[in-house]
Amino acid sequence: MKSRTVPMIAVTFVSAAMLAGCAGGPPAQDGSALSDGKVVIGILNDQSGVYRDLSGPNSRVAVELAIADYEAKYGDEAVATDIEIITSDHQNKPDVANTQAQQMYDRRGADIILDVPTSSAALAVAEVAAAKKRLFIDVGAATMELTGAACNPYTFHWAYNTEMLAKGASGVVDNGGESWVIIYPDYAFGQGMNASFTASIEGAGGTVLESIATPFPNDNFSTFITRAAAQNPDVIGIMAAGGDLINFVKQYNQAGMQDQAALAVGLMFITDINSLGVEEFQGTTFTDAWYWDYDEQNREFADRFLQLTDARPTFAHAGNYSAAFQYLEAIQRAGTDDADAVIAELEGAKLEDLFLRNGEVRSDHSVVHDSYVARVKPAADVAEAWDYEEIISTIPAEEAFSPVNSACTM
Amino acid sequence: MTTSPSSAVRTFPLAPTPRSRWRVARLIMWPTIAFVALLVLPWVVYPPIAMDIAAWALFAMSIDLLLGFGGVLSFGHAAYWGSSAYLTGWVAVNTGVPFPVAILIGALGAMVLAVPIGMLSVRRSGIYFAMVTLAFGQMIYFIANQLSVITGGENGLQGVPKTFFGIEAVEKESFFFYYAAIPIVVLGALAAWRIVHSPFGRVLSGIRDNPERVRALGYDVERYKLIAFVLSAGLAGLAGGVYAVSHGFVSLQEVDWTTSGKVVLMTVLGGIGTLWGGPIGAAIIVLLEDYLASAGFEGIGIVTGLIFIVCVVLFRKGILGTILAFVDRARTGGRGMPRFGRADRLAAPDSVTATNTAHDEEGNHAPR
Repeated sequence: MKSRTVPMIAVTFVSAAMLAGCAGGPPAQDGSALSDGKVVIGILNDQSGVYRDLSGPNSRVAVELAIADYEAKYGDEAVATDIEIITSDHQNKPDVANTQAQQMYDRRGADIILDVPTSSAALAVAEVAAAKKRLFIDVGAATMELTGAACNPYTFHWAYNTEMLAKGASGVVDNGGESWVIIYPDYAFGQGMNASFTASIEGAGGTVLESIATPFPNDNFSTFITRAAAQNPDVIGIMAAGGDLINFVKQYNQAGMQDQAALAVGLMFITDINSLGVEEFQGTTFTDAWYWDYDEQNREFADRFLQLTDARPTFAHAGNYSAAFQYLEAIQRAGTDDADAVIAELEGAKLEDLFLRNGEVRSDHSVVHDSYVARVKPAADVAEAWDYEEIISTIPAEEAFSPVNSACTM
Repeated sequence: MTTSPSSAVRTFPLAPTPRSRWRVARLIMWPTIAFVALLVLPWVVYPPIAMDIAAWALFAMSIDLLLGFGGVLSFGHAAYWGSSAYLTGWVAVNTGVPFPVAILIGALGAMVLAVPIGMLSVRRSGIYFAMVTLAFGQMIYFIANQLSVITGGENGLQGVPKTFFGIEAVEKESFFFYYAAIPIVVLGALAAWRIVHSPFGRVLSGIRDNPERVRALGYDVERYKLIAFVLSAGLAGLAGGVYAVSHGFVSLQEVDWTTSGKVVLMTVLGGIGTLWGGPIGAAIIVLLEDYLASAGFEGIGIVTGLIFIVCVVLFRKGILGTILAFVDRARTGGRGMPRFGRADRLAAPDSVTATNTAHDEEGNHAPR
């Protein structure tokens, strides 16, 4: 009988091992050589959860466009002749992100990992990148830590961060929104956003009447909305993201607040507006890192993107395009895909593309660029699908991001 | 054998027979298989994944200790796995002690935490016990979220070192780290095995089957359940510590209720009350999640959910439980032994459940 049980267990384990699809064993001496004649770009993001729309599978499309543009630009002279994309789903869980990143570098030969929304997951991947000495360009996460205390030579933060999001608030103050009430979810992201926004508003001469902390996650915001309305502010700033943001905006409109105070949103992607409907958000101001209908160059990219995906790109998608394109450009300049050589090309570089306007890679590896104060159009003014935003003003790169983070020592 | 094929009455042979030899063989066989599998694992799967499997396996065993042998479902075990992970991480970051020491401190912390929670929880059983533990689990989650000075809140606790007496291979390479950390998991598993196969474990099984009778026999039921709860939390803590050091960071995910749910899923999938079923469930779930994450498939929850449904509908005893039952049936030719895996799924103390049947050879020892 024992002889019958043992094969069963063996079958279980072997089939499980086959599921894994990758062999184990002690570390190979070489891993995947960086100069293996192939550039492997890994995209690690949320393919199934709340951030699927704003990054997800469409980030891959953006990177494919970047590769196509790189190949069209250099043709036969391209250094990176064979470029492969691999993707993985981190499910917004940092521990999954951590093991997936290790596998991507070790077993699947990734030379770079892109995207990685969710701050905790991004920080987990940054640690892997430093240990494996391969590149990691984060696009989707907001945390200042990536270019602060947790910074390392192999990690770059491309598109935005919490302080940059707050800079838009000063634009709102300049446009007459002087007194604010801030409502923020009581966890690291919300607390950081509250601090950044308060500093930005006060710096521009506005006042914050009250900062109200809410539980996170939270479904019922009515008491907080009432409390905020009682202060009679010009602007109510909401720092929630994702599902909480959607809930808040619905309740805000149901309470008839739209006419009483302008709404400013801390972090919003165009996919949020699309999913809830432009009517719900109309008049809302927020900081945008990029908008698809800003000019001809953006529009052309957005048209190509639309053909492949039936959606307009979010700024995260454009950021992934830019990161992949500039990475390939750096390989072209360095003549190799060796991580340290590519980093040397990127550090301090002034970069221009459709996403990076006046872009520059700073010493803390934060990539700064022009960003925008946007307002959601009234529903009546929407001319076509995804035509949701009106750019009120441009924040120049040097003002959009706070100075080099002194907490970062590499 | 004296059993007549047509008789429904169970009778047991009095002298040692092939059955008891089989029982002893199996008693040794399972730990041996598990041990060999653990040693071979990082050669077959990617080492960090292998480490995950080992950690989750021990975590699942801690759940099974309570669920399979104590008869109570803890739905908040992430609290001990997670609090130990945080404590381990914090100690490793701030003191630089070798990681096994940090893990032991973490596990002790989890046990200390389990004492007050256990004292309040063990007064209830069934769904109420599950709900109370879930509530405490959520409390720990929110404390971890707010206590960002230590836990890093939403960002998590970064940079947990694998300090190990200056041996660089272990500190840098996950393959060698696996072999440095696996003794902790093995010790934890052996502890679970020993607990189950002790007089204490048999009283526990008695409490599972008939708490009133055990109480009537003079055992302090609450105290036994509390001790089991704390021991289980300690095992979960060991596993959580290993997991934290292996990943190099701790996040809120570790104290999230979904972590509690996942480990219960693993235990049920492997087979409740088999002790070694949990590790099989852990291996399947971890490998499946890892595979699906990189397969470009967009609904991991759908697959694990389906597996759970199939398991509950078709394999009520879980994978290992089904195998054991099958083996039992094949061995006895469909007669005798109505319960699967008797050797592992221990009988309660004799005086507790034995009524009109003859004693089996184990039943002569009263628990102390």
